[in-house]
Amino acid sequence: MVKIKKNIAISDSGFVFDPGSGDSYSLNPSGLEIVQMIKLGKDFSAILEAVTEKYEVDSDSFERYYYDFIATLAQLHLTEPDGKD
Amino acid sequence: MTKLAFERPIIQRINAGLPSKYGMSHRLEPLSHIDGTPIKDLIGEFGSPLFVLSESTIRKTYKEAHRAFSSRYPNVQFAWSYKTNYLNAVCNVFHQEGAWAEVVSGFEYDKAIANGVPGELILFNGPDKSTEDLQKAIRNNSLIHIDHFDELYEIIHLSKEMTERPKVAIRVNMDTGIYPKWDRFGFNYENGEAWDALNRIMANKNLDLMGLHTHIGTYMMSVDAYRIAAGKLADLAIKLERKHGHVLKYIDMGGGFASKNTLRGAYYPGTDTAPSFDDFAEAITSVLMSSDIKPDHLPMLILETGRAMIDDAGYLVGTVIANKRLADGRRATILDAGVNLLFTAFWYEHDVRPVQPVSDQTEDTTLYGPLCMNIDVIRGNVMFPLLKKGDQYVIKRVGAYNNTQWMQFITLRPNVVMLDSKGNPHLIRKREVLETINSQEVMPEHLKQFKL
Ligand SMILES: Cc1ncc(COP(=O)(O)O)c(C=O)c1O
Repeated sequence: MVKIKKNIAISDSGFVFDPGSGDSYSLNPSGLEIVQMIKLGKDFSAILEAVTEKYEVDSDSFERYYYDFIATLAQLHLTEPDGKD
Repeated sequence: MTKLAFERPIIQRINAGLPSKYGMSHRLEPLSHIDGTPIKDLIGEFGSPLFVLSESTIRKTYKEAHRAFSSRYPNVQFAWSYKTNYLNAVCNVFHQEGAWAEVVSGFEYDKAIANGVPGELILFNGPDKSTEDLQKAIRNNSLIHIDHFDELYEIIHLSKEMTERPKVAIRVNMDTGIYPKWDRFGFNYENGEAWDALNRIMANKNLDLMGLHTHIGTYMMSVDAYRIAAGKLADLAIKLERKHGHVLKYIDMGGGFASKNTLRGAYYPGTDTAPSFDDFAEAITSVLMSSDIKPDHLPMLILETGRAMIDDAGYLVGTVIANKRLADGRRATILDAGVNLLFTAFWYEHDVRPVQPVSDQTEDTTLYGPLCMNIDVIRGNVMFPLLKKGDQYVIKRVGAYNNTQWMQFITLRPNVVMLDSKGNPHLIRKREVLETINSQEVMPEHLKQFKL
């Protein structure tokens, strides 16, 4: 399961601060929602269920966006390196 | 219960420090309709991608340009530069507005004739006129703009064999203070070549010298260059009257006005930097009006405005094929139209917009076409909203040169529609099919069969 690094600060408006690198980022609303679910320990299937229930998106499309998003978080070193889904 | 619209999740680095070159908050407004017609419906009916031309924008732009000149000068005539967009429907809108035709090849000449333009209202420019082209133009009393001495002597030769008198002008090139100098076409002003050519024409009893022509460059952002050019042509006109008592019918200032597109690498958007028709008109007409040409001998002022006349009227609409993440983390969005259809992507940073409403969120994106080639970039590094596969986009200001310089490469060229003044679409060029291409090919007998 993907884990967001513990020291990463995430505000309710989607502002992200990485004290390790000093970099800050912004999440769009859907990105923020997903990150918050990941922080609550939800896995992909739970997130998929929550998102497809609320939003107009099919599961195939969501799966693609989700993994692309997770890959970006990893590229930015915001997730734990051993986090596997 | 209806569900909420979903947007791809993204995260991006917040860059402290310098704002991007267009400032921090750069929002791309979606464009959902053209002339009141939903782009979604146009794609639904005519396919994707699709060129859309707005008849009302063409007419509005033409009227604007015409008014700018005719409110300052007594005798103004526009000629539609066929190479800029020679789809017949486009040409005919200009002809309905009163424009003559400006052509640079036998093919374009024949197209103008086939559209019904009277021969004597066709300006024949360019270095490449075959003997047959010249004979045809002479027979039809067309206005032949001579490019070089070989052409002048061929016309003199033809005039001895034919009954019609060739109606000619010369193209003049000159230093207008801009770089690069266009000295490839026509006769040079500064070194006396143009004056020499005019004297040879005047010495010949078979030719009618009608006017002077110049085309000083394209996408010109300097009105001063036009002021200088108009001054030099006026000088030649005055010298002709002084020495030969010859009064010219017209001075043709060519085309070249910048359109509102943004050049690649330009710091400011073209909408802010392109001079208006009024600016160009003021520069040109004030020089002619204040020259030593006698008021009752003021020649007709001809303009061959191309890109500035049609760019705004053209749109290329289409569909997102896919999204990718580049190795450095940037977003790559693949569109269904590439540089094969949008030749001007090599020159311009085109204004690309989403068709459907999107959120404020943007991401550093490169927009690629569908060709299997590295050069197929529609827009590099643009802060672009998140479009998903199947979403639609629209590229603005593509009316000039794309429908003439597009390539049949890897894919076939799509439908072109024109929206009439009520916004109703009319198909004006059918999409190509395999047969369009194959019908031009011939298979040698011995290559017809193969076994694999
Ligand atoms: C002789 C001549 N006239 C007019 C034009 C139209 O120029 P533009 O599109 O820059 O207005 C051209 C374009 O190259 C040209 O060569």
